[in-house]
Amino acid sequence: MDPEAARTARESLELVFQMSNILDLGLDRHTLSVLIALCDHGLNPEALAAVVKEFRKEPPLTSSTPTTPSVP
Amino acid sequence: MEDDRRVGDLVRELVHRLHNNSSSSLSNSNPNPTNVKYATRILSSRMTPSITADEAAMAYSIKNQLVKQGKLSDALSFADLYSKFASKIGPGSVNNKWAVLYLLKVISEDRRTNLKLQTDSSYSGGLPTLFESETNGNHTRVTKDSSGFSRLGRNLDHDGSDDAFPNDNVNGLRNSNSEKLKNGGVLLVSRDPENMQDMAYREFAVIVKEENDVIEEVLVRDVLYACQGIDGKYVKFDESVDGYLLPDSIRVPKPTRIMIRKLCELGWLFRKVKGYVTESMNKFHDEDVGTVAQAFCAALQDELSEYYKLLAVLQSQSMNPIPLVSENASSGSYLSLRRLSVWFVEPMVKMRLMALLVDGCKSLKGGAMAGAIHMHAQHGDPLLHDFMKRLLRRVCSPLFEMVRSWVLEGELEDIFSEFFVLGQSVKAESLWREGYRLHSAMLPSFISPSLARRILRTGKSINFLRVCCGDRSWADAATEAAAATGTTTRRGGLGYGETDALESLVTEAAKRIDKHLMDVVYNRYRFKEHCLAIKRYLLLGQGDFVQYLMDIVGPELSEPANTISSFKLAGLLESAIRSSNAQYDDPDILDRLRVKMMPHNTGDRGWDVFSLDYDARIPLNTVFTESVMAKYLRIFNFLWKLRRVEHALIGAWKTMKPNLITSHFFTKLPKAVKFRLILTSRKCQVLWNEMSHFFTNLQYYIMFEVLEVSWANFSDEMEAAKDLDDLLAAHDKYLHSIVEKSLLGERSQALYKTLFMLFDLILRFRSHADRLYEGIYEFQARTMEDKTDLPKHSKSKSADSDSWLSEGRKAITQRAGEFLRNMGQDIDAVSNEYSSLFKGFISELPVQQHIDMKFLMFRLDFTEFYGSAS
Repeated sequence: MDPEAARTARESLELVFQMSNILDLGLDRHTLSVLIALCDHGLNPEALAAVVKEFRKEPPLTSSTPTTPSVP
Repeated sequence: MEDDRRVGDLVRELVHRLHNNSSSSLSNSNPNPTNVKYATRILSSRMTPSITADEAAMAYSIKNQLVKQGKLSDALSFADLYSKFASKIGPGSVNNKWAVLYLLKVISEDRRTNLKLQTDSSYSGGLPTLFESETNGNHTRVTKDSSGFSRLGRNLDHDGSDDAFPNDNVNGLRNSNSEKLKNGGVLLVSRDPENMQDMAYREFAVIVKEENDVIEEVLVRDVLYACQGIDGKYVKFDESVDGYLLPDSIRVPKPTRIMIRKLCELGWLFRKVKGYVTESMNKFHDEDVGTVAQAFCAALQDELSEYYKLLAVLQSQSMNPIPLVSENASSGSYLSLRRLSVWFVEPMVKMRLMALLVDGCKSLKGGAMAGAIHMHAQHGDPLLHDFMKRLLRRVCSPLFEMVRSWVLEGELEDIFSEFFVLGQSVKAESLWREGYRLHSAMLPSFISPSLARRILRTGKSINFLRVCCGDRSWADAATEAAAATGTTTRRGGLGYGETDALESLVTEAAKRIDKHLMDVVYNRYRFKEHCLAIKRYLLLGQGDFVQYLMDIVGPELSEPANTISSFKLAGLLESAIRSSNAQYDDPDILDRLRVKMMPHNTGDRGWDVFSLDYDARIPLNTVFTESVMAKYLRIFNFLWKLRRVEHALIGAWKTMKPNLITSHFFTKLPKAVKFRLILTSRKCQVLWNEMSHFFTNLQYYIMFEVLEVSWANFSDEMEAAKDLDDLLAAHDKYLHSIVEKSLLGERSQALYKTLFMLFDLILRFRSHADRLYEGIYEFQARTMEDKTDLPKHSKSKSADSDSWLSEGRKAITQRAGEFLRNMGQDIDAVSNEYSSLFKGFISELPVQQHIDMKFLMFRLDFTEFYGSAS
């Protein structure tokens, strides 16, 4: 990656991080960068959000085996 | 492949991070593979997002969300960040910005939902919201834990009775969800539970079905049939009421009945119009219906076909029901009576207008029909105005066509007599005056009378040129005229609404044709020359010719009328012409001059029946018609009489002038007789003088002040005349002025009589004077013989003569004296009569109000000799 692109990426990440702070999402830069990369790869953002939600709530559930939700 | 591996790595990384974040346990460098598998499963469970990718909308909705939460400054900063973010393009930037934004949004929503509902009992997974988003659009029920949902429902509707209508709660949820996503995800609380509305609708539908025998759909269809003039199943045409209506036997609510009645007015109007059209079409064969009416029917049929189109569309709509958004609405089909009434507004107006026109035009035809329709077109409403304009264009096209062909070609193709120009076949000489005339009943109101007159004149000129003058070059003038106004000489150039164009075409054509006609009349037929010739011969303008004629013809005319032969007179006329300057005139003109003997009674002298005639052939006999020539004849008679009297007077003078004979006679007479002779001859001369004075002045007046002045005026008007009508008018005026001024008019009857009495008196005087001088000569002759013999004092050759003479001289003297006395008395009588008549005549003159006789009066009485001697 050339320095220009690196700078752009950095700045974009910074902006997204600030946006997520405004929205009070509680995500850090690293996670966000991963999420952004996944989005860019074309994954469904709804699914990613679901993943985020799942794993944020993991603490009360990860103690037991993860429940497989019934997806119709 | 490489991509997938990258994705897998990223997922693992994500799980790891999240896991690390959420759990405060010591961080593992490797994420739990089960978690990873789980995450992957979630990720692969749905691949496509449920909403469309709209970046700006997404940012906007997030901003709105923030605003709704009351965090305005945050919203502003978010907007700012977003704009910066969006402007980052190129390598290294995020390509799928929308996805990122959506991700942020969903996570924030989830967090909020989570926070809100954390106090409540949890439900399985965080998936219900996703479920909701997924099941938007379908009507499938979600089989979930109803209690949890009901509570969710309770939160969403504030007065939903959840136990009674569990399904509807989900409905409510579903609907509110659909609203949620419709508004871009903003959570709305629905005000009115739609379950109530739906219930009401369904109950109403049931009631409606019970109450009516007929459902609205069928009624709608029936109304549509009625509007085409066909009886429907329920709605039929009722003769007694003269309208379409629903019989009372069928039970429908009153408003429906009234509405049907209103809508069927259209059907009634349609019937009327269609009836007229069909009726007219049936009469086409009888040739009772004119072209204008045919055009009207055609235009009406066009409008009706438009109307049919509308009805067809409406009918197709009434067949196919179009589903509404809410499927429990009451009307099964799209078209209800109300909708129909909205659709019918415009056709109703048009149909009403057509029915009005049909009523107005039932008994009219031709131009009158066009005029009546035009009256209806004076309307302010632009819709009606356009409609009428279209209709009128079609209706008036036959009329305009007729005008065009009449104006440019002089053709009158009018089988049904609809045109306002009527032609009748007459002889060529009355073609101009009576061949064509205006029929004002057929004149449409948008053509003004002056324009109509111009149209008439133009066509008449063309026909006149063609028939009377045998001229073919008017066609050029016509094409020129058409080119000048921009229309063509072919059909269909003009239409209604272009009255200006028509007017300009007519004006141009009229101008050119008139000019052409005038050229032809003046140049080819030498109207002016003929007029002048008439003046010279018939009005006795050629003095020397008249003198010769009078000299030659005079003795002939003293005979009784029935002994005179016109051939002899014609011969005399010829010799008169030859002996005067008239022989140098144009032979064509001289040909036309001939003698005419008027019908005579017994006792008429030649003087009374003699007249000259001028033969004006076609086309000039349009101007010089029979009546015009009769007027000329009258004037000729009068002038001829004047000449005759003048001739008589001059003849008297010839004998009266002092001459040797008289003076010789005079010297020999004894004194008494001498005096008498002097007296008598003096009386005679005085009287002659008076008469001559009167006569000269009268003659002068007639010749100069009447004839020449009128001719000068007429000349000027001839120059200025632009068409034949003007010329005819000028000529009539000319003749009329001559007739009036020379006391031949009706109002001058008394004067005329006096004048003629004067003339008779003058002629009598002439005969007296002749007798007097004859007597004198005779006596003179006798005394001459005597005288020649006397100085010789010689015995006369004949004893008879001697004795007679000697005895005769006394006798002669006595006889002379007696004779003179008698003559004197006669002349006295004549003189008295003359002076009284003359005075009467003079006194009449100033009383005349219709002509100006003061010049004559002045001349006759400039010394006021007569005026003061009363």
